[in-house]
Amino acid sequence: MTETTFFVLLAVYKPNHGYGIMQFIKKETNGRVVLGAGTLYGAINTLVKKKWIAPFDDESNSKKKEYLITHIGKQKAEEELQRIEEVLQLASTIIKGDRNR
Amino acid sequence: MSITVFRYFFDFLDGQEKWLNRMAKDGYRLKRCGKLTYAFDECAPNEYEYAVEFVGNQAYSKAKDYRKYLESMGFRTFTKNINLNFSYGKVRWRPYAKGMGQIATSPGGFNKEILILEKRRDGKPFELHTDIHNKLSIYKTVRRAYAWAVLMIVLLGAMTFIPNVLSVSSPMAWCLRIALLIFFSLFVIPTVKYSSLVKYLKEESKIFE
Repeated sequence: MTETTFFVLLAVYKPNHGYGIMQFIKKETNGRVVLGAGTLYGAINTLVKKKWIAPFDDESNSKKKEYLITHIGKQKAEEELQRIEEVLQLASTIIKGDRNR
Repeated sequence: MSITVFRYFFDFLDGQEKWLNRMAKDGYRLKRCGKLTYAFDECAPNEYEYAVEFVGNQAYSKAKDYRKYLESMGFRTFTKNINLNFSYGKVRWRPYAKGMGQIATSPGGFNKEILILEKRRDGKPFELHTDIHNKLSIYKTVRRAYAWAVLMIVLLGAMTFIPNVLSVSSPMAWCLRIALLIFFSLFVIPTVKYSSLVKYLKEESKIFE
């Protein structure tokens, strides 16, 4: 999973629209990851197609489309979290071990 | 005060984008654009910033949805033609496009191959594509559009050498060939440029996301 994909998934654990997703990622990474609008559009559409996220119907705000993570999406995010934890653990062991040598 | 400028860009992405940004730097804000014209209103220098996006490969409904999305992200948008189409009547064939995007009709997606986006200058780069894979697919799409133009010109050029195809005198035929050669070089340069960008990004994508 790319970093972009993972961040988009995390941004839609609560209903969120395009601009909100972009702001979420920018804020949570302290500006390290700023997604371009075109890239975000591609990511959203791919995730909708894969059914990892779905349009969230809320009549009150029809102009901006909102999205919410699906059951499959949450499963994929869980798997990614586990993968990152494994990478983190391995990297920590090796890098910290080398530092202390 | 508003002004109208006649311009046509062979370098329809980068060239057009740079020019629009130069105009904005001089205090002109895009008001609307026609096939060969751009109308500007005066504004404070450096107030706005422009990006040019190629959407000619997309089906009309998709390009429309993308435009709507970009507007919801806070950009002002304009559509623009590129005239790289091979046409018959009101239906156009866009050989460089994918799926339904290959057929463009008027009214419809025809002459709306480009989106011009405007935002207020805020000191941050106007980047629409930040992901390496996404950039790669965009560059490939643009390269395909230019490569088709090159191919069509080569075919036209080759046709002029077939006996009895041209009903013009020999000097006229050579004028035509020279004109085709000029178009050829105008389209070959961006094709090569985007090819080398694609090559570079492919290498990068092996290491970075």
